Amino acid sequence: MVWFSGMWLGIGLLMIVTLLGVIVKNGLSIFWPSRVMEVELVEGSPAAIQGAKVLAGEVRKIQEKSVQAEKGGTAREKQLFVGNRDAFGFGFRYVDESDIAKISYPEGIVLAERVEYGDLIGYPVSLKLATGEVKADSADFTALLEQTVGAGNARRGEIESIEKDQIGKINHRMGVLRLSQRKAELDGKITEDYRTEIAAELAELQRRYEILAGKAAALRAEQKAGLFVYRLPTGIEREIPAGDLMQYYYPNQIGFFGRVGHFFSEIWHFFSREPREANTEGGVFPAIFGTFVMTLLMSVAVVPFGVIAAIYLREYSKQGPLVRAVRIAVNNLAGVPSIVFGVFGLGFFVYFVGGSIDSLFFPERLPTPTYGTGGILWAALTLALMTVPVVIVSTEEAIAAVSRGAREASLAAGASKWQTIQRIVLPASVPGIITGLVLAMARGAGEVAPLMLVGVVKLAPTLPLDTVAPFIHLERKFMHLGFHIYDLGFQSPDSEAAKPMVFATTLLLIALVVVLNASAILLREKLRRRYASSAF
Amino acid sequence: MKHQPSRRESAAQATAAHVPDPRRFEASKRVLLIDAFMNRFIKVGGIGVVVAVIGIFVFIVSQVVPMFQSARLDPTEATGLGDVLPEGEYVAIASDEWGERPIALRADGRFLVTDLNAAGRVEESGFQFLEGDTISAVSAMPGSGVITVGTAGGKVHLLDYTYEASFSGGKRTVKENLAKGYTGTFSGPVRRVAFGQSGAARLVAALTSAEGGDQLVVTLIERKRSLVGSGTWKETASIDLSKTLRPGVPVNSLLVSDRADTLIVVFANGEVDYHFRAGNETEFELRQTFRPFAEMTNPVIASAGFLFGDVSLVFLSPTGENVVFSLYRTEEEPVRVFHPTKKLTPLAGKVTDPFYTKSQRNKAFLVGSGKRVSLRHATTEKVRWEGDLPFEVRHALIGAKYDSLLLFGDDQRFHRYALDDPHPEVSLKALFGKVWYEGSPEPKYEWQSTGGSDDFEPKLSLVPLIFGTLKGTFYALLFAMPIALFGAIYTSEFLHPRNKVYVKPVMEIMASLPSVVLGFLAALWLAPILEQRVPSILCITILLPAASFLIGWLWSRQPQSIRKYVPAGREFLYFLPILLLILFAGWHLGPVLEKVVFTVKDAASGTRIGDFTRWWPSVTGTSYEQRNSLVVGFVMGFAVIPIIFTIAEDSLSNVPGALRSGSLALGASRWQTAWRVVLPTASAGIFSALMIGLGRAVGETMIVVMATGNTPIMEWNVFSGMRTLSANIAVELPEAPHHGTLYRALFLGAVALFVMTFAVNTIAEVLRQHLRERYKTV
Repeated sequence: MVWFSGMWLGIGLLMIVTLLGVIVKNGLSIFWPSRVMEVELVEGSPAAIQGAKVLAGEVRKIQEKSVQAEKGGTAREKQLFVGNRDAFGFGFRYVDESDIAKISYPEGIVLAERVEYGDLIGYPVSLKLATGEVKADSADFTALLEQTVGAGNARRGEIESIEKDQIGKINHRMGVLRLSQRKAELDGKITEDYRTEIAAELAELQRRYEILAGKAAALRAEQKAGLFVYRLPTGIEREIPAGDLMQYYYPNQIGFFGRVGHFFSEIWHFFSREPREANTEGGVFPAIFGTFVMTLLMSVAVVPFGVIAAIYLREYSKQGPLVRAVRIAVNNLAGVPSIVFGVFGLGFFVYFVGGSIDSLFFPERLPTPTYGTGGILWAALTLALMTVPVVIVSTEEAIAAVSRGAREASLAAGASKWQTIQRIVLPASVPGIITGLVLAMARGAGEVAPLMLVGVVKLAPTLPLDTVAPFIHLERKFMHLGFHIYDLGFQSPDSEAAKPMVFATTLLLIALVVVLNASAILLREKLRRRYASSAF
Repeated sequence: MKHQPSRRESAAQATAAHVPDPRRFEASKRVLLIDAFMNRFIKVGGIGVVVAVIGIFVFIVSQVVPMFQSARLDPTEATGLGDVLPEGEYVAIASDEWGERPIALRADGRFLVTDLNAAGRVEESGFQFLEGDTISAVSAMPGSGVITVGTAGGKVHLLDYTYEASFSGGKRTVKENLAKGYTGTFSGPVRRVAFGQSGAARLVAALTSAEGGDQLVVTLIERKRSLVGSGTWKETASIDLSKTLRPGVPVNSLLVSDRADTLIVVFANGEVDYHFRAGNETEFELRQTFRPFAEMTNPVIASAGFLFGDVSLVFLSPTGENVVFSLYRTEEEPVRVFHPTKKLTPLAGKVTDPFYTKSQRNKAFLVGSGKRVSLRHATTEKVRWEGDLPFEVRHALIGAKYDSLLLFGDDQRFHRYALDDPHPEVSLKALFGKVWYEGSPEPKYEWQSTGGSDDFEPKLSLVPLIFGTLKGTFYALLFAMPIALFGAIYTSEFLHPRNKVYVKPVMEIMASLPSVVLGFLAALWLAPILEQRVPSILCITILLPAASFLIGWLWSRQPQSIRKYVPAGREFLYFLPILLLILFAGWHLGPVLEKVVFTVKDAASGTRIGDFTRWWPSVTGTSYEQRNSLVVGFVMGFAVIPIIFTIAEDSLSNVPGALRSGSLALGASRWQTAWRVVLPTASAGIFSALMIGLGRAVGETMIVVMATGNTPIMEWNVFSGMRTLSANIAVELPEAPHHGTLYRALFLGAVALFVMTFAVNTIAEVLRQHLRERYKTV
């Protein structure tokens, strides 16, 4: 029987290890540049693309076929990531191993990340620039391509900065002007002077907007000017504007260190870039940022309330059956499903509080809701409510662990009750409070269900923090890592293409949550050692 | 306060030495002020937080309560009252969607318009159509936009009425527009008419008296679209149904459905004929003849009418009996026919000259006779509102938005009443009981909140959701319980302390895994694997315990010299390789087992192939889905294991060591001690661990949303999905209109979740506290 029970523990531990292993492996492997395999098919293989016998791609999976042939032995198939979605209409191809006539790893093949349609896999043929066409076999092709792509990236950055920041600011200002006019109209304080004033400013803004838009259009035209000509593994030549290339590498040429370098640069891009193509490409920066800001706001809300409630319960209230009941109730709130808090958040914060704020302070924007719809503030408050029991419980424990002696000594020395709490009790329980906070943050960062109801979106056009006054936009919707996983895995039009991104995001989220939790556990252990308490 | 004396004492001692300033011992005003302020602040704040946290429940409940309110209508206060219309008999009324400019058709063929916005001013419309004829039959179905008039001269006129709304200065002005749409000629005076329209096809049914007896003719008219304008209506078919009439039995009324495919003939003897026309055919088939009040002594039908959606008929008998018949198919019948489905409370009082009108938005209808008016809802079989009005009602309409009643009384005036009934489709029975929905052959529990068409009947039974919640929880606990409990026993009783330091944090990390991650893995990684390897899982679940028992037994037979190589408390480490081996073996044994046992005949090739996913449905008759309860149980187990484990382990570890030592000293083995002494002592703690685990499983959302098909079905099949309360909220609430019925029903789901988890957790918590007390005394 000892073995029997040991077995169950073993299973439990094994499950965790397997799970984490699967995530880590899948999550990291997408950043690792694997070699591109070129496959020559036998005659009449169903895997042929557009009649061509040759195809090339990264091997993503090798598996047994789900429908086995009649004869014995297990047929296996390879899943190749063939890219070139614009040319083929799909990104993946299953190839029966028995259909493969020849496998090679050609040196010249290039894998390029593009703005649209996912990756490109093919052989470079030439660059058609304004200065003339440069063939791929000429000596300066490599340098020129490097330079062109670099210039394209710089230009794209510039376009983005014009369209997002500068034009965005103008649009924002225009919106503000229109709203202030509407507000004045609603208040009945509109004057003709004011009207003309606003019209003049609007015209000025419009003029500036047109200049900027012209600039952006010119840059865009420049982006389209140069052409990158390449040959698909299937033999067809195609060309794309060189400005659409974001980066490229020769997967079969780079050595191990090149791969490591590429691996880390990919990870960096994942962290720092914005998502593209229905979130299946690019990075997750807005989601990281959204998660971060939301968690921060939540912490700001949760600590004071949690600590005050804990101090009240421990130090001020009369310990009796009522307080015991309250304590149990608070404890149990931690066990109430998160979705219930989401429901509350939607009904109370969004519709009730938000709706009231809108009708009181932003009547000029109605019926478009400002606070009366999901937003980062409501999400943070909902999660704060959800996690406040965690903070209360751990703070209470920490306060209870402060030795009676220290407390009485302080009182005996003439300190007031608040002074005792402020100088003796609270400093001693800081680690406990922090533990509670970290646990709350871990729970908040990993929670998705309530957020779906109170303001998380799959793609937020703007960040909740930016350079436009008032800098922090509490009413804005935001992106969240956990929701990103849900959205990518389940709402994505091309789930196979989204899979690597989901695994990577999952790894990131787990890393975040595990680090938070581990630090809480460590902190608690430290605390326990310092104040050996009896309560578990 | 109670520290004051000690301060005074010390002051007294100080005085004995030398005399200092007594104020030296007073706390400064600032300190006292801050102290008083903070005391208040914390008290108020603390109570505030606690109240706020508990207020969550109150708020959610407050959102649910309005759902159960019955309809409100004040019969003493009309929101619109028209002037008295000129003398004459008024045979039909119609109105715009806001109920602002109702029109009434007088027996002489003139239309009178009442402007309820302009203090009820009456105008006469210039529109005329009779051309010297007299009206002999009228039908005006609300919402159809057509008044059908039959004349003594054998004509049937379809009069189209439309309203145009224009807005100026934020005010709405409505103007009616009357036009003759089509005129058909029949032989003999028209006695009854009915009309229905579906897209480009209109169906007119007319009962005429001719010399050889009554004739029933149905005319199909269609509009051919032309390049300019909408074209004119042309008669495309005329069907004579006279032979289905009963000689000597007059026809009371005719009804045509809005789909223009059904004709209902109500006879004076209480019989009802159901004619049906399939698709675009021009033939009618008499599908059914039935008697709604067959069991009554006088089976006469006082009024009959379709419900919104035209799938159900509402009948009223002269004694006030009110029944609903719905179309559905049973196993034995080839086509859908009418069956009795509901019996509503009889209308009070004697029914003479009753009126009936349906809502154009939901399954509510208005019946009444004389001064009595009763608003009822067919789905819930509830009377929403019933009462007497100060006048006798001649004609009635329910507002297009189900927010008003428009009544034409014997005082020759229009009366408009505001109707406040936002949630007519809700009753306790609809939420928790079996309801006989339209088109269903039996009453059932069903959740389906939205449908494809406007006339959809919302099905809001929470029972399938509660069932799904329990099902998911059950499978999760089935999987998690052994792992968590035995794991906890092993960890607390046998595991070497040095390993314990690692095991517990690992479990806590596991507890912190976000459920969205688990759900994602379940759906996209585990489910496809499990789909192919169900037999492997079966093998493993059988092999594993067997192997561990075998090894344990063999081990206990070994001499001490061998046994000492595995130190106590390290068994599980040594077991791990064996475990992996068994997993590996079971994994590969699975397909073998599948080929031998779970074979089905392949329809294409005729050979028997091993395929569990097809074997299961063929043997049990239930479905196999990729995202099924097994996957959910497995992954939700992940979420639950660490919780049960941690709490159970805590309560086991806290069993006083003296008990353990005593038992061991008396010669009990390690297992005997654990099983017979420690476990019973900590049983309350174990139970509370299970309860808290249960609470978590009940409320788990993301895993279920992602890893099941979210179909609200009610079966215990392991290989089918389910929909839980929490998943239902997550899926539907973002799209639910604020303060709508669905919104409140989902809030009710949240209340159910709250109550369930809160109760379970409270029981667990109380048990745990009891246990703590007990340990103190042991």
